[in-house]
Amino acid sequence: MTTIEELVEANVISRIQVEMHPRDQGLRLLYGTPDFIVWLGELAKGSGPERRLGEATAAEQVDDLFNTFLSGQPLVYMKQFRSIRAEKNAVWELKTPDVRIFGWFLKKDCFVGVFGNWADVIKDHDLYRGYRIAIRRMRRELGVDETLCVQGVTPGDVLSL
Amino acid sequence: MTYFHFDIGERARHAGRFIGRVRGELLRALSERKSEIGFSQHGLAQKLDTERALINRQLSGETSLTLRSLADLAWAMDMEISFELKKPVTNAGQNQPMTTSTVGHGQIKYINGAAKRVSMLPAPANSELGQSKKSA
Repeated sequence: MTTIEELVEANVISRIQVEMHPRDQGLRLLYGTPDFIVWLGELAKGSGPERRLGEATAAEQVDDLFNTFLSGQPLVYMKQFRSIRAEKNAVWELKTPDVRIFGWFLKKDCFVGVFGNWADVIKDHDLYRGYRIAIRRMRRELGVDETLCVQGVTPGDVLSL
Repeated sequence: MTYFHFDIGERARHAGRFIGRVRGELLRALSERKSEIGFSQHGLAQKLDTERALINRQLSGETSLTLRSLADLAWAMDMEISFELKKPVTNAGQNQPMTTSTVGHGQIKYINGAAKRVSMLPAPANSELGQSKKSA
């Protein structure tokens, strides 16, 4: 059975970290595929959507999202205000005002990002289905669709709230 | 083990997380008021004599919050704002933030990363910090 450590050793995924406040401890785990990490690198260097909605830059939004995720803070306050949303096929979306990140949960509290893009681009081109299919295909090719993939449709299925 | 440090620099990190914390606090307060007295976005909009869509954009972070709008939202939820600036306190044994920035040096940091992975990224113009690092 493939393990997370084996996926990391094979450079299929890499652990993602952000600077955390000294009082915080990492309570969740975040990984990314090589392409996703390249996208993050461009984001950190200042790339962003053509028209930004949020007060923070896209990179600042994602840093805050990752910090919130990793430090175990709530991602859902009310039904209409949440930073996480379930797609079909055990694919999950992490959200900021301007950014969408798609991936899946290897285990509870352990997310792997596969695609990142601007919210308006995803909506304009309806990329949801394509991302879902690509992520499911990736899991199958890696042989982890049954073993390292949390099924569920509510945030409580994938996060310790 | 490879890992990627998503580092946007201290200034940007402070700004983004402050904005996120204010928004999170508003949502937490609204959620609390909703469970206590059934208060909703609609109630906020009515009390502030504005459109619900504007309240929605403010709470979802899709539009900027002014100090005035923040004060109004707090007032409408019958909540007080506590604002304080203080020097950071360092306690013995706590984690120490790193001080380098991906933005500042234009290169992703891979700690103990494979050379193949680093080569996927543009070569740094002039930065030894851009090289992959081996941890002990």
